[in-house]
Amino acid sequence: MALLEVKDLSMHYWTRKGEVKAVDEVGFSLEKGESLGLVGESGCGKTSMALTLLKLLPENAKILKGHIFFYKEFQPQTANALLGEMVNLVPQKANGRASTLGRLTRIEGEKLLVQPARNGATKAPSPVSFSFSEIAQVGLDLVPLREERMQRVRWKGISMIFQAAMNSWNPVYRVGDQILEAMQTHLPKTSVQQSKKRIAELFQMVGLDPRMMERYPHEYSGGMKQRAVIAMALSCDPELIIADEPTTALDVIVQDKILREMRQIQKQLHMSMIYISHDIAVIAEVSEKIGVMYGGKLVELADTQTIFERPAHPYTKALMSSFPNLKGEKKKLEALPGEPPDLISPPTGCRFHPRCPYATEVCKEKDPVLEVRQPGQVAACWNPLH
Amino acid sequence: MAKYILKRLFQIILTLWIYLTIVFLLLYLQPGDITSFFINNRTPPEVREQIKAQFGLNKPIWEQYTNVMTNFVTLNLGVSFKEYPRPVWDIVTERMPRTALLFVTAAIISFCFGFILGRLIGWRRGAALEYVSTVSGVFLWTVFTPWFALLMIWLFAFNFQWFPLKGFIDQNLWPGVQQVADVSCDLTGGTNCANFVFNHILLTALVVTLILGAAFIISRFFAEQRTRWLINGSALAITVIGVFNYWSNSIGDVKVGGIFATRPLSMMDLAGDILYHMILPIITLTLISFAGTMLLTRNTMLESLREDYIMAARAKGLPDKAVRDRHAARNALLPVATYFVIGLALSVDGSIFIEKIFTWKGMGWTLLSSATDQDYPVIIGALVFTGIFALFAHLAADVLYALLDPRIRYD
Amino acid sequence: MQVTTKTLPPSLWRVRMHLWLKGMGQSWSTFRESPIGVTGLVIIVFFGLLGAFYPIYPWFMGKIAWDQETIQKEGIDLNIVYNPIFGVGNDPLLIKGFPQPPSLRHPLGTNADGPDVLAQIMYSASREFLLGMMAALITVIIGTFIGAVAAYYGGWIDTLFMRLADVFVLFPPIAFLVVVSALVQRAGIEMTHMLLALILGLLFGFGSITIVLKSQALTIKVKPYIEAARVAGGSSFHIIFAHIIPNILPLSFLYMMFNVTTAIFSEAALSFFGLLPSINMSWGLMLFRAHTQGWILGHQGAFYWWVWMPPGLAVTLLCSAFYLVGRGLDEIVNPRLRKR
Repeated sequence: MALLEVKDLSMHYWTRKGEVKAVDEVGFSLEKGESLGLVGESGCGKTSMALTLLKLLPENAKILKGHIFFYKEFQPQTANALLGEMVNLVPQKANGRASTLGRLTRIEGEKLLVQPARNGATKAPSPVSFSFSEIAQVGLDLVPLREERMQRVRWKGISMIFQAAMNSWNPVYRVGDQILEAMQTHLPKTSVQQSKKRIAELFQMVGLDPRMMERYPHEYSGGMKQRAVIAMALSCDPELIIADEPTTALDVIVQDKILREMRQIQKQLHMSMIYISHDIAVIAEVSEKIGVMYGGKLVELADTQTIFERPAHPYTKALMSSFPNLKGEKKKLEALPGEPPDLISPPTGCRFHPRCPYATEVCKEKDPVLEVRQPGQVAACWNPLH
Repeated sequence: MAKYILKRLFQIILTLWIYLTIVFLLLYLQPGDITSFFINNRTPPEVREQIKAQFGLNKPIWEQYTNVMTNFVTLNLGVSFKEYPRPVWDIVTERMPRTALLFVTAAIISFCFGFILGRLIGWRRGAALEYVSTVSGVFLWTVFTPWFALLMIWLFAFNFQWFPLKGFIDQNLWPGVQQVADVSCDLTGGTNCANFVFNHILLTALVVTLILGAAFIISRFFAEQRTRWLINGSALAITVIGVFNYWSNSIGDVKVGGIFATRPLSMMDLAGDILYHMILPIITLTLISFAGTMLLTRNTMLESLREDYIMAARAKGLPDKAVRDRHAARNALLPVATYFVIGLALSVDGSIFIEKIFTWKGMGWTLLSSATDQDYPVIIGALVFTGIFALFAHLAADVLYALLDPRIRYD
Repeated sequence: MQVTTKTLPPSLWRVRMHLWLKGMGQSWSTFRESPIGVTGLVIIVFFGLLGAFYPIYPWFMGKIAWDQETIQKEGIDLNIVYNPIFGVGNDPLLIKGFPQPPSLRHPLGTNADGPDVLAQIMYSASREFLLGMMAALITVIIGTFIGAVAAYYGGWIDTLFMRLADVFVLFPPIAFLVVVSALVQRAGIEMTHMLLALILGLLFGFGSITIVLKSQALTIKVKPYIEAARVAGGSSFHIIFAHIIPNILPLSFLYMMFNVTTAIFSEAALSFFGLLPSINMSWGLMLFRAHTQGWILGHQGAFYWWVWMPPGLAVTLLCSAFYLVGRGLDEIVNPRLRKR
């Protein structure tokens, strides 16, 4: 069952020098309990991707098009909360109806009325009606969602572990209080005592002494801060956690330990995760699926196993050969020649072609689209390796 | 913390010593000997001898130096020329509280105003509000203070007659007052009675601040928002009732009589008169100084908004107001608070023009008047005292910073 | 490394100049984006033109407001009529009494003693500029030099200057200026603009500006190119003057703007309270006379506005202008304040 579906998503920044195409027509989906890794060089749009999912964008950024559907099982009693929002209704499998995207305009008795988007047609399409029993899932589109409504999705629905965990603590408040703040915002019915008890449990889960709750961030070491950040990300029982370079700032031993613990917690709580890292080895350890990004585009998406055994995109292969493999046979590490693309004026055609050893004429002219290479593997390349 | 304060205290004494030495050198380098600052042709011969002995005339420079320094440190600052034979120390202790009340009140108001406005323009960057408030803020911040104060008097006191033109007390009201509590007034307009009432106002303000401050700190120990409001609210209610009760019953009665008596007066009337005279100077001071806080807050706000913890706070799904006030502004407050206390330290300095224009007889007025009247003992006394005051305010700034920023542990 | 120095192309200075110009161009385009800085600059230019126009003011007025016959017949000397300090002359208009309201001959009227207000404003403008610039320049030179030296050498030099700065930061500046001008008066020394600029420059030069510039210099000192210059055998003198100081200059320039404001304000204030008897004409003094002669509060309404409004506005606007330019520069020097 899908939890998150990203469709055709583009997000650009406007800077002094021009328009930065940081995320360009990216699409993927994530099942409940699944973990996805996003990998790529720095500046390829991974972090922008994460921030777009939470809509934590600076003023100069804008989502140009696309959808981010955040799915929930349909429950009639919560339908009212979705009134007026853009939703994607997914009918029961046996039903045979197609899923419908549109604004939820009315609830009539046991029925939902959805006004599909115009999509360039001059005449507005007529509303589509779904009875409650037909619907399996409702996907809330986060892209057009108002800021106040989005605030309710953040942390309760999707939480995040930041790249700079060291600095994501406000220095003037106690760590426990900062977690408490999030819980009181999203779970107003829980009393302070209950919340504190929960935080103590989470601290134990991530391997911190619960008494550390009463301490200030500067009294924590780097690893402790990172663990506390994980505890905070878990505090409101989110369905999805985005971990942006969760362990980059730590030394290798702590890194490994924390990753393993995160994986364990994820399985235990049956959460979905998106890991973001430049290090494909780290990603491989914790993710079931891996997406490779290059120049703001998703160039390959496949199962971890597949991507290691049969990478389709030349960039994926290059990325893997630039990291040492402890288990496999000895080989020379290859550095990828050339510079990461300039996202203000990216190369025409395939963005990777200036650095690609397999590039042909067509690569310079036409932009490849994601195509299925084999079950569980898609890649956007004119000359795939497999 | 105690160790840190001791260390700072030592540094402060050292700084004070350098400061006083510079003041001494300033006097020593002048033509004539140093006692000529403390003697003029009206000084009677016997006092003359006494002062000469006190400051050590015709002794070697280092002995004069030690004498002058001893006199400074023991606050033995000589006798005023103009208000002979009043000791300078007596004048300073009378004037200092007046400056303190006026300026602390104005500073707090302008701080709150400036901080709230600065927080807003830092948060909503690039709006028309930012441009308008920056330009008008800079205009008010750099306005020629004496001129602006005159304009305010002209507009509100002269034209609209909402406020008194100048001064500290109403010259038609006070001469009728014969006795306040157990202080009988002097004949010239009741200066000592006014001082009595004034000092009680100051005391009340101090007690109210302490009680409310304590309540605020205690309320911080409770996490529930409702408990906090309850504590603060009840503290506020108690102080309001207490202050009202104290002023209407406990201080004592006012005896009115003589040919100047116009109507029966209560203690509250007298206090009200003094407070009424404070309003226009406070408004003026607030207008000319809020922009400093505002512009600084805007900058510190812009800097703290770039921090990662702001992004984290937004990611937590906190409402905008919570991100702005609890996270960004709380951190932006740190440098602004220091600026506030250092501003207080230099309040005597800032008071000079305003007090002179409003004839509010505080330290600033005293300093400027004695400079134009060439009343040197008072000038020097005021300068010495101002320096000491500024030094201790700096210490207070450090302590405040430590209280606001948990990262700083002085040890 | 000496070899490199010798083989450097002779056009090194041209390259530096080019880079400097390019940097200035970029700074200028950033500066131009902030309406705040530009507003300030416009006001400064306005007052600059006003000051520059002063020498030809009598001649100009003679052309537009007087007919030559009257001048010839009555023997009027326009240089006397428009003299900012003595004024009057034998302008027949002025016999009717003062202060004269604005008219064609006296665009901003005259004050109570007879001199033309606009002439006084223009005459003072250049002096205010000179005083402000001089004082700020002294402050900034001291601050930059001490900041660079203290940061470069550290140790006791650093301690000495930083302790000294602590003392100066504590100084109540206005009180101190009031006392100093009282003392200078007592000593019988003439307090000219230059002396005042010197006192102001020294008073602010050792204070907070050294602390700020030193911390800036410290961030430069640890840059690799300083290390490289030292390894290459550059002398301390060379490193301080060729590497550290040029890099803290933008910040110094920023502080200079704020110090111009302070200096102009201080002079006006001291004049306003009659503490600078040796300065015979300034905006502050114009206000002092207007106030003590009772033209501000003594008369109902804003009737004599031309006596006190122009000098008050002039002080305020010029102070604001330098401050605004400073704020505008702040957005360039401090990239954390910049818009993305």
